[in-house]
Amino acid sequence: MVVVKLKDFEEIVAFVKTNRLAILGCELGAGRCLNGGLKKAKALKEKFENLGFTVVTVKTVGGACVLEHTEKMLGKLSLGKDTTVVSLSCGAGTQVIAEYLGLPTVSATDTLFIGAEKKGLFERYCDACGDCIISQTGAICPVSRCPKSLRSAPCGGAVNGKCEVNGKPCVWFEIENRTKIVPKVIIPNYKKVFEVDAEDE
Amino acid sequence: MNFAEKLSKGKFLITAEIAPPRGTDFKDILESIKPLKGKVDAFNVTDCQRSNVRMSAVAMSKILLENGFEPIFQITCRDRNRIALQSELLGAWALGIKVVCVMTGDFTTLGDHPESKPVFDVDSLGLLEIVKKLNSGTLLNGRELKGKPSFTVGAVFNPYAGPKRLQVEKLKLKVELGARFIQTQPIYDAKLARETHELISSFGAIPILGILPLRSPKMARFMEKLNPGSVPKELVERLEESQNPVEYGWKKALELSEEIAEFGRGIHFMLVGKIKELAQFAVYLKRRNHEVRENSRSRWNNNGR
Repeated sequence: MVVVKLKDFEEIVAFVKTNRLAILGCELGAGRCLNGGLKKAKALKEKFENLGFTVVTVKTVGGACVLEHTEKMLGKLSLGKDTTVVSLSCGAGTQVIAEYLGLPTVSATDTLFIGAEKKGLFERYCDACGDCIISQTGAICPVSRCPKSLRSAPCGGAVNGKCEVNGKPCVWFEIENRTKIVPKVIIPNYKKVFEVDAEDE
Repeated sequence: MNFAEKLSKGKFLITAEIAPPRGTDFKDILESIKPLKGKVDAFNVTDCQRSNVRMSAVAMSKILLENGFEPIFQITCRDRNRIALQSELLGAWALGIKVVCVMTGDFTTLGDHPESKPVFDVDSLGLLEIVKKLNSGTLLNGRELKGKPSFTVGAVFNPYAGPKRLQVEKLKLKVELGARFIQTQPIYDAKLARETHELISSFGAIPILGILPLRSPKMARFMEKLNPGSVPKELVERLEESQNPVEYGWKKALELSEEIAEFGRGIHFMLVGKIKELAQFAVYLKRRNHEVRENSRSRWNNNGR
Protein backbone atom coordinates (compact mmCIF):
# COMPACT_ATOMS: atom_id res chain seq x y z
CA MET A 1 0.00 0.00 0.00
CA VAL A 2 0.98 3.63 -0.33
CA VAL A 3 2.69 4.78 2.84
CA VAL A 4 2.60 8.42 3.88
CA LYS A 5 4.06 10.55 6.66
CA LEU A 6 2.26 13.46 8.29
CA LYS A 7 3.95 16.80 7.67
CA ASP A 8 4.87 19.11 10.55
CA PHE A 9 1.81 21.09 11.58
CA GLU A 10 3.56 24.42 10.90
CA GLU A 11 4.21 23.36 7.31
CA ILE A 12 0.51 22.49 6.83
CA VAL A 13 -0.81 25.71 8.38
CA ALA A 14 1.50 27.88 6.27
CA PHE A 15 -0.51 27.05 3.11
CA VAL A 16 -4.00 27.54 4.54
CA LYS A 17 -5.38 30.90 3.39
CA THR A 18 -9.01 30.73 4.63
CA ASN A 19 -10.62 30.44 8.05
CA ARG A 20 -12.96 27.61 7.00
CA LEU A 21 -11.48 24.15 6.63
CA ALA A 22 -12.58 20.69 5.58
CA ILE A 23 -10.23 17.92 6.75
CA LEU A 24 -10.38 14.84 4.53
CA GLY A 25 -8.45 11.61 4.95
CA CYS A 26 -8.14 8.17 3.48
CA GLU A 27 -8.45 4.79 5.16
CA LEU A 28 -6.70 2.77 2.46
CA GLY A 29 -2.92 3.33 2.43
CA ALA A 30 -2.59 6.56 4.35
CA GLY A 31 -5.04 5.39 7.00
CA ARG A 32 -3.51 1.93 7.40
CA CYS A 33 -0.19 3.45 8.30
CA LEU A 34 -2.04 5.61 10.84
CA ASN A 35 -0.83 8.86 9.35
CA GLY A 36 -3.75 9.71 7.13
CA GLY A 37 -6.78 8.08 8.78
CA LEU A 38 -9.64 9.35 10.88
CA LYS A 39 -7.69 9.48 14.14
CA LYS A 40 -5.03 11.77 12.71
CA ALA A 41 -7.67 13.81 10.90
CA LYS A 42 -9.47 14.44 14.19
CA ALA A 43 -6.23 15.34 15.95
CA LEU A 44 -5.50 17.80 13.16
CA LYS A 45 -8.97 19.32 13.57
CA GLU A 46 -8.24 20.03 17.21
CA LYS A 47 -4.94 21.70 16.38
CA PHE A 48 -6.56 23.94 13.77
CA GLU A 49 -9.44 24.85 16.13
CA ASN A 50 -6.95 25.80 18.83
CA LEU A 51 -5.58 28.36 16.37
CA GLY A 52 -9.08 29.75 15.74
CA PHE A 53 -9.91 27.99 12.45
CA THR A 54 -13.43 26.74 11.77
CA VAL A 55 -13.41 23.09 10.75
CA VAL A 56 -16.69 22.40 8.96
CA THR A 57 -16.18 18.67 8.46
CA VAL A 58 -13.81 15.78 9.10
CA LYS A 59 -14.27 12.81 6.80
CA THR A 60 -12.29 9.84 5.55
CA VAL A 61 -12.91 7.53 2.62
CA GLY A 62 -11.69 4.03 1.84
CA GLY A 63 -9.47 4.99 -1.05
CA ALA A 64 -9.54 8.69 -1.90
CA CYS A 65 -7.55 7.95 -5.06
CA VAL A 66 -10.55 6.06 -6.46
CA LEU A 67 -12.73 8.77 -8.04
CA GLU A 68 -15.97 6.83 -7.40
CA HIS A 69 -15.16 6.50 -3.71
CA THR A 70 -14.35 10.17 -3.37
CA GLU A 71 -17.57 11.09 -5.22
CA LYS A 72 -19.51 8.92 -2.80
CA MET A 73 -17.82 10.49 0.22
CA LEU A 74 -18.13 14.06 -0.95
CA GLY A 75 -21.23 13.83 -3.16
CA LYS A 76 -23.74 15.50 -0.90
CA LEU A 77 -21.23 17.60 0.99
CA SER A 78 -21.64 21.28 0.31
CA LEU A 79 -18.62 23.33 1.15
CA GLY A 80 -18.56 27.07 0.65
CA LYS A 81 -16.17 28.62 -1.83
CA ASP A 82 -14.19 30.14 1.02
CA THR A 83 -13.22 26.67 2.31
CA THR A 84 -9.77 25.13 2.15
CA VAL A 85 -9.44 21.36 2.01
CA VAL A 86 -6.71 19.80 4.13
CA SER A 87 -6.05 16.31 2.79
CA LEU A 88 -4.36 13.50 4.68
CA SER A 89 -4.51 11.20 1.69
CA CYS A 90 -1.52 10.24 -0.43
CA GLY A 91 -0.43 12.39 -3.38
CA ALA A 92 -2.84 10.64 -5.74
CA GLY A 93 -5.84 10.79 -3.39
CA THR A 94 -5.25 14.45 -2.59
CA GLN A 95 -5.26 15.33 -6.29
CA VAL A 96 -8.50 13.42 -6.88
CA ILE A 97 -10.15 15.27 -3.97
CA ALA A 98 -8.92 18.63 -5.29
CA GLU A 99 -10.14 17.85 -8.84
CA TYR A 100 -13.55 16.80 -7.62
CA LEU A 101 -14.16 19.73 -5.27
CA GLY A 102 -12.35 22.44 -7.20
CA LEU A 103 -11.33 24.08 -3.93
CA PRO A 104 -7.93 25.20 -2.63
CA THR A 105 -6.33 22.04 -1.26
CA VAL A 106 -3.41 21.63 1.11
CA SER A 107 -1.60 18.33 1.51
CA ALA A 108 -0.94 17.32 5.10
CA THR A 109 1.28 14.39 4.15
CA ASP A 110 4.46 13.42 2.32
CA THR A 111 3.96 10.27 0.24
CA LEU A 112 6.90 7.94 0.83
CA PHE A 113 6.71 4.56 -0.88
CA ILE A 114 4.72 1.44 -1.60
CA GLY A 115 5.14 -0.50 1.60
CA ALA A 116 4.61 -3.83 3.25
CA GLU A 117 2.78 -3.85 6.58
CA LYS A 118 4.19 -6.21 9.16
CA LYS A 119 2.78 -6.11 12.69
CA GLY A 120 2.06 -2.41 12.48
CA LEU A 121 5.40 -1.50 10.91
CA PHE A 122 5.66 -0.31 7.35
CA GLU A 123 8.66 -1.19 5.21
CA ARG A 124 9.66 0.26 1.85
CA TYR A 125 9.15 -2.61 -0.60
CA CYS A 126 8.53 -0.89 -3.94
CA ASP A 127 9.37 2.44 -5.57
CA ALA A 128 7.16 1.94 -8.64
CA CYS A 129 10.26 2.17 -10.88
CA GLY A 130 8.35 0.80 -13.86
CA ASP A 131 10.97 -1.80 -14.78
CA CYS A 132 10.58 -4.62 -12.25
CA ILE A 133 13.52 -6.98 -11.84
CA ILE A 134 12.48 -9.03 -8.82
CA SER A 135 12.10 -12.20 -10.90
CA GLN A 136 15.90 -12.04 -11.17
CA THR A 137 16.60 -11.25 -7.52
CA GLY A 138 14.73 -13.90 -5.58
CA ALA A 139 11.56 -11.77 -5.42
CA ILE A 140 13.37 -9.24 -3.25
CA CYS A 141 13.48 -5.67 -4.58
CA PRO A 142 16.90 -4.00 -4.39
CA VAL A 143 15.63 -0.97 -6.30
CA SER A 144 13.53 0.17 -3.34
CA ARG A 145 15.43 -1.53 -0.53
CA CYS A 146 18.98 -0.49 -1.46
CA PRO A 147 19.48 3.30 -1.21
CA LYS A 148 21.57 3.26 -4.40
CA SER A 149 18.95 1.04 -6.10
CA LEU A 150 21.71 -1.36 -7.17
CA ARG A 151 20.15 -3.90 -9.51
CA SER A 152 23.12 -6.10 -10.39
CA ALA A 153 25.17 -6.65 -7.24
CA PRO A 154 25.95 -5.03 -3.88
CA CYS A 155 28.30 -2.08 -3.42
CA GLY A 156 31.21 -2.32 -1.01
CA GLY A 157 29.67 -0.13 1.64
CA ALA A 158 27.83 -2.47 4.00
CA VAL A 159 29.43 -2.79 7.43
CA ASN A 160 28.85 -6.17 9.10
CA GLY A 161 25.96 -6.76 6.70
CA LYS A 162 24.35 -3.43 7.60
CA CYS A 163 23.85 -0.68 5.02
CA GLU A 164 26.18 2.25 5.64
CA VAL A 165 23.44 4.66 4.58
CA ASN A 166 20.55 3.66 6.84
CA GLY A 167 21.92 1.01 9.19
CA LYS A 168 19.36 -1.56 8.02
CA PRO A 169 20.42 -5.06 6.94
CA CYS A 170 21.84 -4.84 3.41
CA VAL A 171 19.19 -6.22 1.06
CA TRP A 172 21.88 -7.95 -0.99
CA PHE A 173 22.63 -10.29 1.92
CA GLU A 174 18.97 -11.22 1.95
CA ILE A 175 19.05 -11.82 -1.82
CA GLU A 176 22.19 -13.95 -1.43
CA ASN A 177 20.44 -16.10 1.20
CA ARG A 178 17.44 -16.59 -1.08
CA THR A 179 19.13 -17.23 -4.41
CA LYS A 180 22.62 -17.40 -5.88
CA ILE A 181 22.56 -14.91 -8.71
CA VAL A 182 25.41 -14.31 -11.13
CA PRO A 183 25.76 -10.54 -11.54
CA LYS A 184 25.27 -9.09 -15.01
CA VAL A 185 24.95 -5.59 -16.41
CA ILE A 186 21.39 -4.37 -15.86
CA ILE A 187 20.65 -0.97 -17.33
CA PRO A 188 17.14 0.06 -16.30
CA ASN A 189 14.59 1.31 -18.80
CA TYR A 190 12.95 4.37 -17.29
CA LYS A 191 11.07 4.99 -20.50
CA LYS A 192 8.71 2.17 -19.57
CA VAL A 193 7.26 4.15 -16.70
CA PHE A 194 6.62 7.24 -18.84
CA GLU A 195 5.16 5.36 -21.79
CA VAL A 196 2.14 4.37 -19.77
CA ASP A 197 -0.18 7.16 -18.71
CA ALA A 198 -3.40 5.26 -18.34
CA GLU A 199 -4.09 1.55 -18.04
CA ASP A 200 -7.55 0.18 -18.59
CA GLU A 201 -7.55 -2.38 -15.86
CA MET B 1 56.22 6.19 -20.59
CA ASN B 2 52.63 6.88 -19.57
CA PHE B 3 50.45 4.96 -17.14
CA ALA B 4 48.80 2.81 -19.82
CA GLU B 5 52.17 1.81 -21.28
CA LYS B 6 53.57 0.96 -17.85
CA LEU B 7 50.43 -1.09 -17.19
CA SER B 8 50.94 -3.02 -20.43
CA LYS B 9 54.63 -3.54 -19.78
CA GLY B 10 53.96 -4.91 -16.31
CA LYS B 11 55.85 -2.16 -14.45
CA PHE B 12 55.32 -1.80 -10.72
CA LEU B 13 52.77 1.02 -10.40
CA ILE B 14 52.46 3.61 -7.68
CA THR B 15 49.35 5.76 -7.59
CA ALA B 16 48.31 8.38 -5.09
CA GLU B 17 45.05 10.11 -4.42
CA ILE B 18 44.26 13.80 -4.51
CA ALA B 19 40.99 15.57 -3.82
CA PRO B 20 40.21 18.70 -5.88
CA PRO B 21 39.82 21.88 -3.82
CA ARG B 22 36.62 23.12 -2.22
CA GLY B 23 36.75 26.25 -4.32
CA THR B 24 38.67 27.43 -7.35
CA ASP B 25 42.17 27.75 -5.95
CA PHE B 26 44.24 24.69 -6.82
CA LYS B 27 47.73 26.14 -6.38
CA ASP B 28 48.34 24.64 -2.92
CA ILE B 29 47.45 21.17 -4.16
CA LEU B 30 49.86 21.39 -7.09
CA GLU B 31 52.58 22.74 -4.81
CA SER B 32 52.06 19.94 -2.28
CA ILE B 33 52.46 17.11 -4.81
CA LYS B 34 55.48 18.59 -6.59
CA PRO B 35 57.96 16.23 -4.88
CA LEU B 36 56.00 13.29 -6.31
CA LYS B 37 56.49 14.34 -9.93
CA GLY B 38 58.10 11.46 -11.80
CA LYS B 39 57.95 9.25 -8.67
CA VAL B 40 54.27 8.47 -8.52
CA ASP B 41 52.95 7.10 -11.81
CA ALA B 42 49.47 8.60 -11.69
CA PHE B 43 47.13 10.50 -9.39
CA ASN B 44 43.55 9.42 -8.77
CA VAL B 45 41.46 12.58 -8.84
CA THR B 46 38.43 11.95 -6.66
CA ASP B 47 34.89 12.77 -7.82
CA CYS B 48 33.37 14.72 -4.90
CA GLN B 49 34.62 12.07 -2.48
CA ARG B 50 32.21 11.02 0.29
CA SER B 51 29.60 13.13 -1.57
CA ASN B 52 31.21 16.42 -0.55
CA VAL B 53 31.26 19.17 -3.19
CA ARG B 54 34.68 19.81 -4.71
CA MET B 55 35.92 21.22 -8.00
CA SER B 56 35.06 18.90 -10.89
CA ALA B 57 37.38 15.92 -11.26
CA VAL B 58 37.65 16.48 -15.03
CA ALA B 59 38.84 20.06 -14.49
CA MET B 60 41.33 19.00 -11.83
CA SER B 61 42.56 16.14 -14.04
CA LYS B 62 43.19 18.61 -16.87
CA ILE B 63 45.05 20.92 -14.46
CA LEU B 64 47.25 17.99 -13.43
CA LEU B 65 47.99 17.19 -17.08
CA GLU B 66 48.98 20.78 -17.81
CA ASN B 67 51.38 20.65 -14.91
CA GLY B 68 53.12 17.43 -15.82
CA PHE B 69 51.22 14.94 -13.66
CA GLU B 70 49.25 12.02 -15.06
CA PRO B 71 45.66 11.87 -13.78
CA ILE B 72 43.36 8.92 -13.24
CA PHE B 73 39.93 10.50 -13.57
CA GLN B 74 37.58 8.93 -11.03
CA ILE B 75 34.00 8.95 -12.21
CA THR B 76 30.99 7.88 -10.15
CA CYS B 77 27.32 7.26 -10.86
CA ARG B 78 26.08 9.36 -7.95
CA ASP B 79 25.38 12.65 -9.74
CA ARG B 80 25.06 11.83 -13.42
CA ASN B 81 22.63 9.82 -15.50
CA ARG B 82 23.78 7.92 -18.59
CA ILE B 83 23.54 11.04 -20.74
CA ALA B 84 25.81 13.06 -18.46
CA LEU B 85 28.25 10.15 -17.91
CA GLN B 86 28.82 9.69 -21.64
CA SER B 87 29.12 13.41 -22.25
CA GLU B 88 31.61 13.81 -19.39
CA LEU B 89 33.74 10.89 -20.60
CA LEU B 90 33.87 12.21 -24.18
CA GLY B 91 34.87 15.62 -22.86
CA ALA B 92 37.56 14.12 -20.64
CA TRP B 93 39.12 12.25 -23.56
CA ALA B 94 39.05 15.38 -25.74
CA LEU B 95 40.97 17.18 -22.99
CA GLY B 96 43.69 14.51 -22.99
CA ILE B 97 42.56 12.45 -20.01
CA LYS B 98 43.36 8.85 -20.90
CA VAL B 99 42.79 6.84 -17.72
CA VAL B 100 39.51 6.49 -15.83
CA CYS B 101 38.64 4.63 -12.66
CA VAL B 102 34.93 3.93 -12.39
CA MET B 103 32.85 3.26 -9.30
CA THR B 104 29.23 3.48 -8.19
CA GLY B 105 29.99 6.22 -5.67
CA ASP B 106 28.97 7.07 -2.14
CA PHE B 107 25.38 7.82 -1.25
CA THR B 108 24.29 11.46 -1.17
CA THR B 109 23.13 11.59 2.45
CA LEU B 110 26.68 10.85 3.66
CA GLY B 111 28.01 14.15 2.29
CA ASP B 112 27.68 17.90 2.70
CA HIS B 113 24.48 18.26 0.66
CA PRO B 114 22.45 15.40 2.13
CA GLU B 115 19.18 16.81 0.73
CA SER B 116 20.32 16.36 -2.89
CA LYS B 117 18.85 13.84 -5.32
CA PRO B 118 20.82 10.61 -5.66
CA VAL B 119 21.04 9.65 -9.34
CA PHE B 120 22.50 6.11 -9.70
CA ASP B 121 20.88 5.72 -13.13
CA VAL B 122 23.47 3.01 -13.79
CA ASP B 123 25.94 1.38 -11.37
CA SER B 124 29.67 0.69 -11.71
CA LEU B 125 28.93 -2.28 -14.00
CA GLY B 126 26.70 -0.17 -16.24
CA LEU B 127 29.35 2.54 -16.30
CA LEU B 128 32.00 0.00 -17.36
CA GLU B 129 29.65 -1.05 -20.15
CA ILE B 130 29.33 2.61 -21.18
CA VAL B 131 33.14 3.12 -21.32
CA LYS B 132 33.47 -0.11 -23.29
CA LYS B 133 30.90 1.10 -25.83
CA LEU B 134 32.53 4.54 -26.14
CA ASN B 135 35.94 2.90 -26.62
CA SER B 136 34.43 0.80 -29.41
CA GLY B 137 33.16 3.93 -31.13
CA THR B 138 29.49 4.08 -30.20
CA LEU B 139 27.21 5.55 -27.59
CA LEU B 140 25.39 3.25 -25.19
CA ASN B 141 22.43 3.33 -27.60
CA GLY B 142 24.60 2.15 -30.50
CA ARG B 143 24.89 5.48 -32.35
CA GLU B 144 28.27 5.99 -33.94
CA LEU B 145 30.72 8.53 -32.52
CA LYS B 146 32.61 11.11 -34.53
CA GLY B 147 36.01 10.50 -32.99
CA LYS B 148 36.27 7.84 -30.32
CA PRO B 149 38.17 7.60 -27.06
CA SER B 150 40.48 4.81 -26.06
CA PHE B 151 40.37 4.94 -22.29
CA THR B 152 42.47 2.72 -20.08
CA VAL B 153 39.90 1.60 -17.53
CA GLY B 154 40.19 0.74 -13.87
CA ALA B 155 37.70 -0.17 -11.17
CA VAL B 156 37.69 -0.75 -7.41
CA PHE B 157 37.35 -3.65 -4.99
CA ASN B 158 36.73 -3.77 -1.25
CA PRO B 159 38.21 -7.02 0.13
CA TYR B 160 36.22 -6.66 3.37
CA ALA B 161 32.78 -6.29 1.78
CA GLY B 162 30.10 -8.94 1.60
CA PRO B 163 28.41 -11.10 0.63
CA LYS B 164 31.78 -12.51 -0.34
CA ARG B 165 30.62 -14.71 -3.24
CA LEU B 166 28.73 -11.84 -4.86
CA GLN B 167 31.62 -9.42 -4.38
CA VAL B 168 34.01 -11.82 -6.08
CA GLU B 169 31.54 -12.41 -8.94
CA LYS B 170 31.14 -8.66 -9.33
CA LEU B 171 34.91 -8.18 -9.41
CA LYS B 172 35.19 -10.85 -12.09
CA LEU B 173 32.51 -9.13 -14.16
CA LYS B 174 34.27 -5.77 -13.79
CA VAL B 175 37.39 -7.28 -15.34
CA GLU B 176 35.34 -8.93 -18.10
CA LEU B 177 33.81 -5.53 -18.85
CA GLY B 178 37.23 -4.06 -19.44
CA ALA B 179 38.74 -3.04 -16.09
CA ARG B 180 42.48 -3.52 -16.60
CA PHE B 181 43.53 -2.44 -13.12
CA ILE B 182 41.76 -2.74 -9.78
CA GLN B 183 42.44 -0.39 -6.88
CA THR B 184 41.44 -1.54 -3.41
CA GLN B 185 40.38 -0.24 -0.04
CA PRO B 186 43.25 0.19 2.47
CA ILE B 187 44.88 -3.07 3.52
CA TYR B 188 46.80 -3.49 6.80
CA ASP B 189 47.64 -7.16 6.71
CA ALA B 190 50.26 -8.91 4.55
CA LYS B 191 48.26 -12.13 4.22
CA LEU B 192 45.17 -10.28 3.00
CA ALA B 193 47.34 -8.21 0.65
CA ARG B 194 48.66 -11.39 -0.93
CA GLU B 195 45.21 -13.03 -1.16
CA THR B 196 43.69 -9.91 -2.71
CA HIS B 197 46.58 -9.66 -5.16
CA GLU B 198 46.04 -13.27 -6.19
CA LEU B 199 42.28 -12.93 -6.49
CA ILE B 200 42.46 -9.87 -8.75
CA SER B 201 45.32 -11.35 -10.79
CA SER B 202 43.38 -14.59 -11.27
CA PHE B 203 40.76 -12.67 -13.26
CA GLY B 204 43.43 -11.04 -15.41
CA ALA B 205 43.56 -7.50 -14.01
CA ILE B 206 46.47 -5.65 -12.41
CA PRO B 207 45.96 -5.27 -8.63
CA ILE B 208 46.94 -1.89 -7.17
CA LEU B 209 46.60 -2.46 -3.45
CA GLY B 210 45.44 0.37 -1.17
CA ILE B 211 47.72 1.69 1.56
CA LEU B 212 46.52 4.31 4.01
CA PRO B 213 49.06 5.02 6.77
CA LEU B 214 47.41 5.20 10.20
CA ARG B 215 48.16 8.37 12.17
CA SER B 216 46.47 7.65 15.51
CA PRO B 217 44.59 4.96 17.44
CA LYS B 218 41.44 7.00 16.75
CA MET B 219 42.00 6.72 13.01
CA ALA B 220 42.68 3.00 13.39
CA ARG B 221 39.39 2.52 15.20
CA PHE B 222 37.58 4.55 12.52
CA MET B 223 39.04 2.38 9.76
CA GLU B 224 38.09 -0.72 11.71
CA LYS B 225 34.54 0.58 12.07
CA LEU B 226 34.38 1.30 8.33
CA ASN B 227 35.77 -2.09 7.35
CA PRO B 228 35.42 -4.51 10.29
CA GLY B 229 38.35 -6.90 10.45
CA SER B 230 40.64 -4.61 8.44
CA VAL B 231 42.99 -3.34 11.16
CA PRO B 232 44.76 -6.08 13.15
CA LYS B 233 44.26 -5.79 16.94
CA GLU B 234 47.99 -5.78 17.53
CA LEU B 235 48.43 -2.75 15.28
CA VAL B 236 45.84 -0.77 17.22
CA GLU B 237 47.47 -1.72 20.53
CA ARG B 238 50.92 -0.70 19.32
CA LEU B 239 49.57 2.62 18.06
CA GLU B 240 48.05 3.19 21.50
CA GLU B 241 51.34 2.42 23.26
CA SER B 242 53.44 4.41 20.83
CA GLN B 243 54.93 7.79 21.82
CA ASN B 244 54.73 8.82 18.19
CA PRO B 245 51.77 7.11 16.51
CA VAL B 246 52.22 9.04 13.25
CA GLU B 247 55.74 7.66 12.83
CA TYR B 248 54.69 4.19 13.93
CA GLY B 249 51.76 4.09 11.50
CA TRP B 250 54.01 5.33 8.70
CA LYS B 251 56.65 2.72 9.51
CA LYS B 252 54.06 -0.09 9.41
CA ALA B 253 52.68 1.21 6.10
CA LEU B 254 56.19 1.18 4.64
CA GLU B 255 56.86 -2.35 5.89
CA LEU B 256 53.68 -3.64 4.28
CA SER B 257 54.42 -1.71 1.07
CA GLU B 258 57.85 -3.29 0.92
CA GLU B 259 56.30 -6.73 1.23
CA ILE B 260 53.82 -5.91 -1.52
CA ALA B 261 56.69 -4.73 -3.73
CA GLU B 262 58.11 -8.25 -3.43
CA PHE B 263 55.12 -10.03 -4.92
CA GLY B 264 52.74 -7.31 -6.15
CA ARG B 265 52.16 -5.15 -9.19
CA GLY B 266 51.23 -1.84 -7.63
CA ILE B 267 50.31 0.26 -4.61
CA HIS B 268 47.72 2.99 -4.24
CA PHE B 269 48.64 5.49 -1.51
CA MET B 270 45.80 7.39 0.13
CA LEU B 271 45.79 10.46 2.37
CA VAL B 272 49.45 11.20 1.93
CA GLY B 273 50.75 13.60 4.54
CA LYS B 274 54.41 12.69 4.17
CA ILE B 275 54.93 13.73 0.57
CA LYS B 276 58.73 13.96 0.60
CA GLU B 277 59.07 10.66 2.42
CA LEU B 278 56.71 9.01 -0.03
CA ALA B 279 58.69 10.43 -2.96
CA GLN B 280 61.87 8.78 -1.68
CA PHE B 281 60.10 5.60 -0.75
CA ALA B 282 58.37 5.28 -4.12
CA VAL B 283 61.78 5.15 -5.80
CA TYR B 284 62.94 2.51 -3.34
CA LEU B 285 59.80 0.38 -3.82
CA LYS B 286 60.19 0.31 -7.58
CA ARG B 287 63.84 -0.65 -7.27
CA ARG B 288 62.94 -3.38 -4.77
CA ASN B 289 60.26 -4.77 -7.09
CA HIS B 290 62.71 -4.71 -9.98
CA GLU B 291 65.37 -6.54 -7.94
CA VAL B 292 62.98 -9.25 -6.81
CA ARG B 293 61.80 -9.83 -10.36
CA GLU B 294 65.36 -9.90 -11.70
CA ASN B 295 66.36 -12.38 -8.98
CA SER B 296 63.48 -14.70 -9.65
CA ARG B 297 64.22 -14.51 -13.36
CA SER B 298 67.89 -15.41 -12.90
CA ARG B 299 66.97 -18.14 -10.43
CA TRP B 300 64.58 -19.49 -13.04
CA ASN B 301 67.30 -19.32 -15.68
CA ASN B 302 69.85 -21.03 -13.41
CA ASN B 303 67.40 -23.80 -12.58
CA GLY B 304 66.72 -24.20 -16.25
CA ARG B 305 70.32 -25.05 -17.03
